[in-house]
Amino acid sequence: MAGTGSRGRAERRSAGALESEVLAALWATERPLTPAEIQAEIDGGLAYNTVHTILKRLYDKGLVLRDADGRRGAYRPAKNAAELTAEAMHEALDRGPDPIAALQQFVTGLSPEEERALRELLAGEGA
Amino acid sequence: MRFDVYSPLALSLLLSALGPVIGRRVAPALAVRVLTSAAVVTAAATAWSLVLLAAALLGDAPPVIREAREDGRTVADPVPEAIGLAACLALVAIAVRVTRAVRAEHRTRRALRRLCAGHPADTELIVAASPVPQAFAVPGRPGRILVTSAMLSALDPAERRVLLAHERAHLAHRHGPLVTAATLAAAADPLLGPVRRAVGFLVERWADEQAAAAVGDRRTTARALARAALTAGGSRGACALHFTDRAVTRRIAALQTSPPPPLWPAAAAVLLLGTLSALLAADATSDLLRQLSGALY
Repeated sequence: MAGTGSRGRAERRSAGALESEVLAALWATERPLTPAEIQAEIDGGLAYNTVHTILKRLYDKGLVLRDADGRRGAYRPAKNAAELTAEAMHEALDRGPDPIAALQQFVTGLSPEEERALRELLAGEGA
Repeated sequence: MRFDVYSPLALSLLLSALGPVIGRRVAPALAVRVLTSAAVVTAAATAWSLVLLAAALLGDAPPVIREAREDGRTVADPVPEAIGLAACLALVAIAVRVTRAVRAEHRTRRALRRLCAGHPADTELIVAASPVPQAFAVPGRPGRILVTSAMLSALDPAERRVLLAHERAHLAHRHGPLVTAATLAAAADPLLGPVRRAVGFLVERWADEQAAAAVGDRRTTARALARAALTAGGSRGACALHFTDRAVTRRIAALQTSPPPPLWPAAAAVLLLGTLSALLAADATSDLLRQLSGALY
């Protein structure tokens, strides 16, 4: 059922990958999101029902919460496990030698002139 | 033996000189595989050559050679004593370095297990509610992707998809074990340091190419890298002496051109180097055995 949303994109995303994307979208913003907002945010042409199913699965796992006092039907991410992970990560980062430095990180450090070049690249993209 | 036994050292140097060149010209997926295989074989051959040199030193002492000399037979002294001693010291240094590398590996594993605690087992993405922009793949079964909330909120939806696809590629293609193998090879044979660095850079390039294929857009992939690098760079502050080898800039530049071809001949040359070091080490072994058996009879 997850494949139904692919609509000719280069990628056929698995159920697990879609779950990650929805969770990432919820964490990327401060405010709770409704399924319709998430559907708009993830521009993979996902069906509303698919988004709904994914949210229900995330809810069952305790990774997202229904926003009780906010708008009806909106979701926000559950913070408990994420805060524990952050604590463990900070501990690992503070303790030397840094065990995470050995990992394949998405990005590493920049020099000032590299930083300038990257800013120009983003500005040139009009993003 | 005199020549063969030193050749893995020369081949290590050659491989290290070749590594970065291969990295620029050859598709990263192929380059990582051949460089890592060649590094592991060469490191093993180098260590074995040192064992042979050290053994040849002992060869003076064992009764076999002494008796042979007393009988009036000439037994060539294959290795000068000083070199034999140096080989012994080098072997001790290798043992220390490899032990240290293995320990560091275990420490990382332990730290990572703690990061995953408290998250459901069947979830790919682990979010850390942290203001430090950070993202990395956590190898294991199943592999996980750890991203901090700061990193997620810095990226737009398309860029987040690049990030997830990139980390997913690390897990799907087992980059963790490949890098570990290269790290251990470089620990055993410090001459292979440049190969280890090339492999570390190339797994990122490999994951970038996979991410670009997954989202179907190299420009978005480059933009995601630039944004993530700026976010991460900005938070570290001016006082942090952070090592930079222009890795991100080079990755972005690579995404702005077309993907490099597999270039099999270059890959075959690297594999040949690895095979050669193994063959020469084997040859040196049989030389030593012949010498010893020559002394026996």
